[in-house]
Amino acid sequence: MRLILVICIIFLAACSPKEAIYNTQSYVFGTLVDITIYGETEEKSRLVADEIIHDFQQLHHHLHAWRPSKLNTLNTAFASGKTPVHVDSVIANMITEASALSIQSKGAFNPSIGGLIEAWGFHHDEFKPINVDQEKINNLVKAKPQMSDIVVKSNSAFSNNPAVRLDFGGYAKGYALDLAIASLRKQNINNALINIGGNIIALGKHGEKPWRVGIQHPRKPSAIATLDLQSGWAIGTSGDYQRFFELAGKRYCHIIDPSTGYPVQGVQAVTVLIPPSANAGVLSDVSSKPIFIAKPQARIQAASLMGVENFLVIESEQHIYISQALTKRLTWLDKDAEKYAVEYGTQTQP
Amino acid sequence: MARKLNHKPLLGDWLVIIASVVAIIFMFLQFWSFEQASKLKIRQGNQIISTYDLNQTRDLRIHGAVGDSLISISQGKVRFKQSPCNNQYCVHQGWLNRAGQVAICIPNQISLQLIGAKSSYDSLNY
Repeated sequence: MRLILVICIIFLAACSPKEAIYNTQSYVFGTLVDITIYGETEEKSRLVADEIIHDFQQLHHHLHAWRPSKLNTLNTAFASGKTPVHVDSVIANMITEASALSIQSKGAFNPSIGGLIEAWGFHHDEFKPINVDQEKINNLVKAKPQMSDIVVKSNSAFSNNPAVRLDFGGYAKGYALDLAIASLRKQNINNALINIGGNIIALGKHGEKPWRVGIQHPRKPSAIATLDLQSGWAIGTSGDYQRFFELAGKRYCHIIDPSTGYPVQGVQAVTVLIPPSANAGVLSDVSSKPIFIAKPQARIQAASLMGVENFLVIESEQHIYISQALTKRLTWLDKDAEKYAVEYGTQTQP
Repeated sequence: MARKLNHKPLLGDWLVIIASVVAIIFMFLQFWSFEQASKLKIRQGNQIISTYDLNQTRDLRIHGAVGDSLISISQGKVRFKQSPCNNQYCVHQGWLNRAGQVAICIPNQISLQLIGAKSSYDSLNY
C-alpha cells in the first residue's frame, strides 16, 4: 500500500496548483516583446511588465529610424552641417556606448550607416524587393560614415561627416534588455526572462531550474538546440531570415557590410551568448554583427575582438561552426545539425 | 469514527491497482516524454485570443493589425494558411507540431504558440 501512496502523491504533485508564472506579449521595436516573470503575484508582475513595455514604447518612439523621432531630428542636423544641436541625455549616452563598440569591432558594427539601410529599402515596416541604385550605394560607402565622426559635448552634438545617419536597429533591443533588467531589480523582482525579437536576457531562475531557451533553426520552424540561460546571461542572434527580401532567386538580408555597402551573403545565422555584465543585453545584440559580417577565416578574430567566447555560426544545413566554450553549454535538438556541427579549433575548417 | 481499513487487499483491489499503474505509465510515456504539442495558444497584440485543442481540423480567421489571418489546425499541427502581410514569412514557416514551436506574424501582430505537457524551453532565441 505504501507504494501506491507514493505513486498517488507523484500523480497529485503533477496536478498541483499552477506555478506562479506570468507571461505577456507586446509588439514594440517592430517585433515581438515577450516578458515572463516567475514567483511574484500576478498583480505585481503585471504592473512591472506594463511599466517595462511602456519604457520600451517610449524608447522606440525616440529612436525610430524612419519616422519623426528625436533620433531623426539629430540625423537631419548631422546631414545639414556641423552646427551643434541639443541632444537628449539618453541618446547621448547611447552614442557614446555605441561608438566605443563600433571602434572595438573595427567598424564592422556601425550604427551610422542608416543611409545604406535606407538605400536597401529596409526603412519600411513592410519592405519590398528592390533593385538598388549601385552608384548610390558606392557613394554612401565612399562617404565613410563612422561613429567617430560624431562629437558629443555637454548636451549637444554634431557630425564631422554629413553622411552619418544613425540607425540603432542593431543596438536598441539590447539596450532595452539592459533597461528591463535594471527596472526588474529596482522592483525587487528576482526571476524573469525578457525576449525582444529573439534577443533574450535572464534574471534568476524558473523555479528550481535555470531558464532554458531554444535557438531557432534558420530554415526550419523549430528549435535547432537549447541551452540554459543562467541569471544575468544574454543571448542574441543575427539572422538572414528575420528581415530579408528575395530578388532573382537571391536573398538580401538586412545585415549590411559597411565596407561593401551590400547585404552579407552566405551566412544564415550567428548566435552569441554573453555572460553577466552591466551591458550584457547590448553586447548580445551588437557582437553578433561583426561575426556575421566577417569573412569565414576572420570570424574567430571578430569574436575575440568583441570578447565573445560563446558563439555559433550557421552557414547552411551542412556548415555549422561552434566555439568550444559554447559546445559545452548547448544541447542539440536537430540531429542533422548535431552531425554537421564542427567545433572551432578542432578540425580543418575556416 | 472511521472503519477499520487495514484488511488484506482482495483480487479486485490488485486488478484496479495494476490497471492504474499501467495507465499511469502509459500516459506518462505518451504525454510527458514526447514533445508533441496538444494545444495551441493564439495571441493578437497583447491579448490571448484563445487556447485551442490541436486534435481537430478547422480553420480560424483572426483579425489582426493589418487584416485577417487564416490559421489552419489539422490533427496535431497548425500553420498560417493566409496572411495579409507583405513578406509572408509567417506562411512560409509552414506546419508546427511540437511543443515550444512558435510562428509570429509581426505586421499583423498574431502569434501561434504550441503547448504540450513538456516543452524543451521557456523562450525562443531567433
